[in-house]
Amino acid sequence: MRHDRQLTAAELDSFGAELDALRQRTLDDLGEPDARYIRRIRAAVRLCCWSGRALLLLGWFPPTWLLGVALLGLGKILENMELGHNVMHGQYDWMNDPELRGTRYEWDIAGPADFWRHTHNHIHHSYTNVLGKDDDVGYGLVRLFPEQRWKPFYRWQPLWVTLQALLFQYSVAVQHLRLDQYVKGRMSRAELRPLLRQFNAKLLRQSVKDYLAFPLLALLLGTSAAAVLVGNLLANLIRNLWTFTVIFCGHFTERAAVFPPSVLEGESRGHWYLRQLRGSSNLTGGPLLHILTGNLSHQIEHHLFPDLPARRYAELAVEVREIAARYGQVYNSGRLSRQFGTVLRRIWKYRLA
Amino acid sequence: MYLVPLSLARRLGPALKPLRALVAGGWLQEADTDCLLRLVHPALRLKRVFARVESRVWVADDMLALGLRTNGNAHGWRPGQHVRLYRELDGVRHGRSYSLTKAEPDGRIELAVRRQPGGRFSNGLLERLEVGSLVELDPAQGELTWPHEAGSVLLLAAGSGITPLLGLLRHALAQGFAAPVTLLHYVRQRRQRAFGEELQGLMARYPNFQVRWAISGEAPAAGELAGRFQAAHLAGRPVHSLLACGPHGFVASVDDWWRAEPRAGGLQVEAFTPPAPSVGGGEQVRLRFARSHRELPGNSAVNLLEQAEAHGLRPPHGCRQGICTACTCQLLAGGVRDLRTGGLTHGPGLPIRLCVSAPLGDVELDL
Ligand code: FES
Repeated sequence: MRHDRQLTAAELDSFGAELDALRQRTLDDLGEPDARYIRRIRAAVRLCCWSGRALLLLGWFPPTWLLGVALLGLGKILENMELGHNVMHGQYDWMNDPELRGTRYEWDIAGPADFWRHTHNHIHHSYTNVLGKDDDVGYGLVRLFPEQRWKPFYRWQPLWVTLQALLFQYSVAVQHLRLDQYVKGRMSRAELRPLLRQFNAKLLRQSVKDYLAFPLLALLLGTSAAAVLVGNLLANLIRNLWTFTVIFCGHFTERAAVFPPSVLEGESRGHWYLRQLRGSSNLTGGPLLHILTGNLSHQIEHHLFPDLPARRYAELAVEVREIAARYGQVYNSGRLSRQFGTVLRRIWKYRLA
Repeated sequence: MYLVPLSLARRLGPALKPLRALVAGGWLQEADTDCLLRLVHPALRLKRVFARVESRVWVADDMLALGLRTNGNAHGWRPGQHVRLYRELDGVRHGRSYSLTKAEPDGRIELAVRRQPGGRFSNGLLERLEVGSLVELDPAQGELTWPHEAGSVLLLAAGSGITPLLGLLRHALAQGFAAPVTLLHYVRQRRQRAFGEELQGLMARYPNFQVRWAISGEAPAAGELAGRFQAAHLAGRPVHSLLACGPHGFVASVDDWWRAEPRAGGLQVEAFTPPAPSVGGGEQVRLRFARSHRELPGNSAVNLLEQAEAHGLRPPHGCRQGICTACTCQLLAGGVRDLRTGGLTHGPGLPIRLCVSAPLGDVELDL
């Protein structure tokens, strides 16, 4: 579905050099406005989460309860995407603020940040859409490309995907455990044990917070523990569905490309950029969409420059699109509804051999 | 107005223990907790040291003494140690080290800041850090200690090297140290004699203490020494224990002089500038790995990740091409060059990616 021009080695080099130069120009320009932005996002996260939780403590009264769910869900989305994801990419390391240091940040989802820093920052971003290397291609549950070998299990994949969307934060958390390797005997119990311990500890903390501590607080205050529990459950669900949508739209749209492992042999900088461009897809929309997706609506720019502050992607996109056009590369971008439609079509189509 | 004054906020420290335990267990975020504590008092934090500026006193033409009061998270600080002070410029938190000229048990400390030609950070402190403002500090470090057993003490300071020695001196004299103490302070110009009045006051009060100035940029007056450090300046002075602080060149020449003869007493030196950096490829540098307490030879052309691994260290890493940030590590001293862009990063406390950074000269890493 893509009609990209093949690039010569010399073209690849100049393509890479242009993108490197673009990255450097942005790096040189980082400053106060970027710092202010991420701190405002953090303030917005706190405001949404804390006010959402406070409203839920008022019980089932519909206006406050619904608003509480919405605010907490919004806060969790912002924390997950624009704050957590981006900070953990090291996008704000240049600020030298210990509270926003990528290697130390711990986010408000089930998976330990350390797991994600490995599976996402390292594996996914180095091996984007390389079959057999990037586990994010289908997460082992879904067949999205004809190049993936078919198994009978995939026949039911619309069901698996639905479950995955509902439980997305757990599916991201569990990914790093590589349970498939363990089952196949390629990973020993001793290797798995420390990972499992870390996994359980984080899972416990997150569940205790949302499903025990805050409902108990409601009991103490004499309001409804059930209202808080259900509210928290819904807020997590909203976040799961939204992040699932954004992530799947970033890499598995109709015009997204996958690559055989052989592309990695002696891959040049220019070719690495090219693979990131071809493997990613953007969403068009207004500023609110961009913030809510953590600017992963600019998935292409994110994959080219994962460590630049995401608020810069919109301005970078103008130049990236122009460079892509000059080198005859498809710039895969479209409305959310359209891109998501093509993802669903893939899921439906490749369930059969 | 704040909910409570700083003196009361300081006393809240022990009450925050349960919160610290919750943060340590991962049940609370330190940043969120600090955000709430700041409503009680802007300097109040769970663990980080913040301090309020309480006084500004010019102690020389080019040196300002800042009186600060810390928030209660500063433990065991001693005069003569140094702390890193942080300020934000254009969204970036920069840090510089200053010596403690005072450290009282009630949390009052004093730092002296010298004007640097062209220095944005220090000059910003001199011009814009008002009484009442807040700054962040790192825990104090430094090994200089007063030789309480010594039969006589000689202090040699050059420029702002006076600051740690003054901290130690004030403390020792106040504690009743009675053996002879001599301080030689090397300055370029007479108006740079920092804390001059106070030192003369100390000389009047303590008969065992003597101070002399050596002037290198003007004609010396009566009673002053001339020029840079030289053995002749010490002729006839009993030297049992010697403490010296100043720029690298000064400290190196004192060190040479001391080692020229066998001596019985103790020598402590501290340099506040690193040896001149060697820029370019393939030169020999020293790598210091602070956590593993190792100092090893390195090469200025090779990335730090490979060099650390070659020495048997196992820093976390992932992509090895500067994307995943797994290898991010704090630079404690020195500077590095980004191998992808040629960009330079200097200065303590800044995060660097080992896999794409080569040392510019001697570096110290939080590894
Ligand atoms: S190893 Fe990935 S950034 Fe250094």
